[in-house]
Amino acid sequence: MYNLIEFLRKYHYIILFLILEGISFLLLFRFNHYQGNVWFSAANSAAAHVDRWYADALSYLQLRTLNRELTDANIRLQLEADQLREALLTATHDSTYTERTVYEQLKDFRLIPATVVSNSRRRSNNYLVIDRGEADGVRSEMGVVGGGGVVGIVYLTGPHFSLVLPVTNKKSSISCRVRGQRYFGYLQWDGEALGHAHLDDIPRYARVKKGECVETSGYSSVFPPGIFVGRISGISNSQDGQTYRLDVNLGTDFANLRDVSVIATPYKAEIDTLHRRAAAADAALEE
Amino acid sequence: MIQTVLSRTGWFVLLFFLQILVFNHIHLFGYATPMPYVYFILLLPSSTPRWASISLGFALGLLVDIFTNTPGMAAAALCLTGLVSQPLLNLFAPRDREDDAILPSVATMKWTGFMKYAVCLTVLHCTTFFVIESFTIRNWQDLLPYIAGSAALTLLFIAAFEMLRSRRS
Repeated sequence: MYNLIEFLRKYHYIILFLILEGISFLLLFRFNHYQGNVWFSAANSAAAHVDRWYADALSYLQLRTLNRELTDANIRLQLEADQLREALLTATHDSTYTERTVYEQLKDFRLIPATVVSNSRRRSNNYLVIDRGEADGVRSEMGVVGGGGVVGIVYLTGPHFSLVLPVTNKKSSISCRVRGQRYFGYLQWDGEALGHAHLDDIPRYARVKKGECVETSGYSSVFPPGIFVGRISGISNSQDGQTYRLDVNLGTDFANLRDVSVIATPYKAEIDTLHRRAAAADAALEE
Repeated sequence: MIQTVLSRTGWFVLLFFLQILVFNHIHLFGYATPMPYVYFILLLPSSTPRWASISLGFALGLLVDIFTNTPGMAAAALCLTGLVSQPLLNLFAPRDREDDAILPSVATMKWTGFMKYAVCLTVLHCTTFFVIESFTIRNWQDLLPYIAGSAALTLLFIAAFEMLRSRRS
């Protein structure tokens, strides 16, 4: 206390000076517009700076909570984005005329949408794997169609995946006909170009022209009749010279195949039963 | 003592009226405005209590301010001048003087000592004044002509006053 009084006694003029300067600046800011404005804006910006430091510090302290929230939101949005992307792909899927007509023809059948997950190509025995299996109702020997028309036939099924024998496999043989005519043959692939197959056993008296459509005949229980397969690109004689051999440009692009549908034929079981009964009858007759 | 107080009071009034009536209307080259009221602080004897020189500086500055419509500027500047006047006077006063107290003048300090003292105080005052007026030192190059011109003109008038005063006494 004594020291304080001593200090004040010794430096009282400094305090007086500061007071008088304070009064001067008070007058300066109060009565001079320019200095007053400068002071006001400087004080304002200083206050704003302090406020910003405070806000920064506060937001830094809240970072942990914020981080958690952001991560949650991020995961939620990512899942949503994935779902939406899938939905968008289905919604804006490029639908060609062939695809529309194929699905138009198949609207009475139960279609199982599937995605190709494995696709071997440029080999003589190509196989496709789709992500639907027995659990989804896929059975072997069901037809598979895509946007470009016929894809192939289900060969083996697992619980969740199925192996498809596509048209571009030498073992594949699908009963086909030329649109508008009844003559039918079997579609075979010669193992060369991925987009080409040929149709054998077309009678020589059939009037076929280049560019005509080849479609499924419906004689097998696998495909309903009238599903687009491809277009005739050339007509030649078969090896024995008895019939025509039609070169077919396949409608399905096997090099770029993603979305397909499995045709769940409701009558297949019935037809199979008939076949079995016929075989049984044959066997009984022979005995 | 009484005589000194009376004469300083006379100088106070004289410098005040000269400043508001004459010097405030001089703007040489648009830059230099003489501010010889610093002369009053210059004249304060070294025995003046520091609170007194600070207060007198403030009072004279404020009076000048009121009449030039710049409240606070000259008051702040002259207040600071009053604060530093005594240490500066001790710095420039002759060492071999008889008594402790000294009345600053040509007679007691010679021209060189007095003018050094005057230059220091004047430059300080002018600098403070113009810095406060512009309220920024970002454009200090623009401030320099004002400070230099005003300080030079002020010093000219101070020298003239001092010459008159010394001749009369």
